[in-house]
Amino acid sequence: MYNNKRLALSIFWVVLGLVLFALSMAKILDSSYFSGMGVALAVVGTLQIIRNLRYRKDKDYKEKIDIEVTDERNRFIRLQSWAWTGYIVVFIEAAGSIAAAVLGQETVRQVLSYSVCLIVCVYWITWLVLSRKY
Amino acid sequence: MKNRIEQLRTDRGIRQEELARELGVSRQTISSLENGRYNPSIGLAHKVAVFFGLTIEDVFIFEEE
Repeated sequence: MYNNKRLALSIFWVVLGLVLFALSMAKILDSSYFSGMGVALAVVGTLQIIRNLRYRKDKDYKEKIDIEVTDERNRFIRLQSWAWTGYIVVFIEAAGSIAAAVLGQETVRQVLSYSVCLIVCVYWITWLVLSRKY
Repeated sequence: MKNRIEQLRTDRGIRQEELARELGVSRQTISSLENGRYNPSIGLAHKVAVFFGLTIEDVFIFEEE
């Protein structure tokens, strides 16, 4: 789960975050967006490094994480959550599209309609790919 | 799908945590299996049956819906 690749990636996030923050503080990057992103990346990277090191040292923690990741019920719940999320997003966007049409918000209606079409197209593609795989 | 996991486990004096560890799943999975809220994969059903020294049909009771 927490291997050397992940550790290297976490270190990269910390370094990138600190570089962005430093460049922003030095006014080389002229936006608070980059300083905020830098801090966020550094914090997330640091937390990942701490978890990674704990995973390597703490046997109980390693076992707990391994089970959390591989447990088939957790996997099932993850898949179900994504499926529900997809359905809910499509329904919200479709309803929003109708509401935007009623309110005369043409741009919003178009964006939401295209988004629904995109999701449906992605669904068809994934269905075709998966039906060939299984 | 109904099953006899709770009965088999308690008969042997095993805690949910111990069974979960033996099967490589979380305690919540064992709880959900016992309550019939979650149907296991054939792989996990096989592991459960082997753990108790029984066949899948002895542990899991299939009912046509």
